[in-house]
Amino acid sequence: MRFFSVLGIIFYTVIFILIGLILIVIALNIVMPQDITAILTYVQSGINPRITTGLIGLLLILLSFSFAQLILGRFQREKTIAFTTASGEVTIALSAIEDLIRRLAWSLPEVKELRPDVIATKKGIIADLRVILKSEASIPDLTARLQDITRAKIQEVLGVEEQIIIKIHVAKIVSTDDKKKKDTEKEGPAIPFGGYGRIGS
Amino acid sequence: MHKEESQNDLGIIRIHKNVIASVTAIAATEIDGVKRVGTDFKSGLMELVGKKSYSSIKVEFDKNEDVKVSVPLIIKYGFNIPDIANRVQENVRAALEKMTNLSIKEINVNVRGVERGQI
Repeated sequence: MRFFSVLGIIFYTVIFILIGLILIVIALNIVMPQDITAILTYVQSGINPRITTGLIGLLLILLSFSFAQLILGRFQREKTIAFTTASGEVTIALSAIEDLIRRLAWSLPEVKELRPDVIATKKGIIADLRVILKSEASIPDLTARLQDITRAKIQEVLGVEEQIIIKIHVAKIVSTDDKKKKDTEKEGPAIPFGGYGRIGS
Repeated sequence: MHKEESQNDLGIIRIHKNVIASVTAIAATEIDGVKRVGTDFKSGLMELVGKKSYSSIKVEFDKNEDVKVSVPLIIKYGFNIPDIANRVQENVRAALEKMTNLSIKEINVNVRGVERGQI
């Protein structure tokens, strides 16, 4: 796998260097438009150059697809927690754990929004929680509670004995009064010319 | 697509991979706690064009004609995932052995998500 990664990196580096060189050469007027026309005319002149050019194009497309698949496949495989049972392997997507944490946060009214990011390392499972809290919340108390609940729930649901590290980042604190004000403003729509009164009656 | 086949006195019986995938899907969703079979890009695309298939369930046959099944699942919130996965493996194995008489080598469960919605 490492060999293919290195090969992929070299492949893309060479392609980008070539594109860069061609652009520089064009910019410096080293290659004139006539030369490019001559090359293109040669490529389209006979059946052999056309077949060769087509095959090179096809090869490049296939290579790109296979490298993309290799890289994406590897990323997908890494994003799971796996364990083996008597009947086969069980893999749990880290996004499933993220869903679980997101659901968990709904039970805490002080949490306005929660964005979890879960990674599995050799040390254990690391859950990075980015939260937006409501202003009435006591941050030390709430974060401690959130850590406890999250850890307990992951342990309960996954049944793993690995270390679970819960990191919390309070990204924002929103005022509940602001929201209420906005709501009341929305409730009473402004009447056109409502501010004008009758004069002289 | 590869088909598992066996021969008797009257002829050949072929079981298509889709049949094994369908049996797997039904057996998996029978378990309490399983919301549905997960989808991948290909099966999502097939569903969009109106063709309901279980292409996200991968069925492979090895040289000894043993079957290897990989099933992606969406689990309901609040259930123990390893427990559900174990029960799915057992139910799928029992259903496949009962319905197809095939030798099941592996049933790999891939939990892709937890059901969203109200608690």
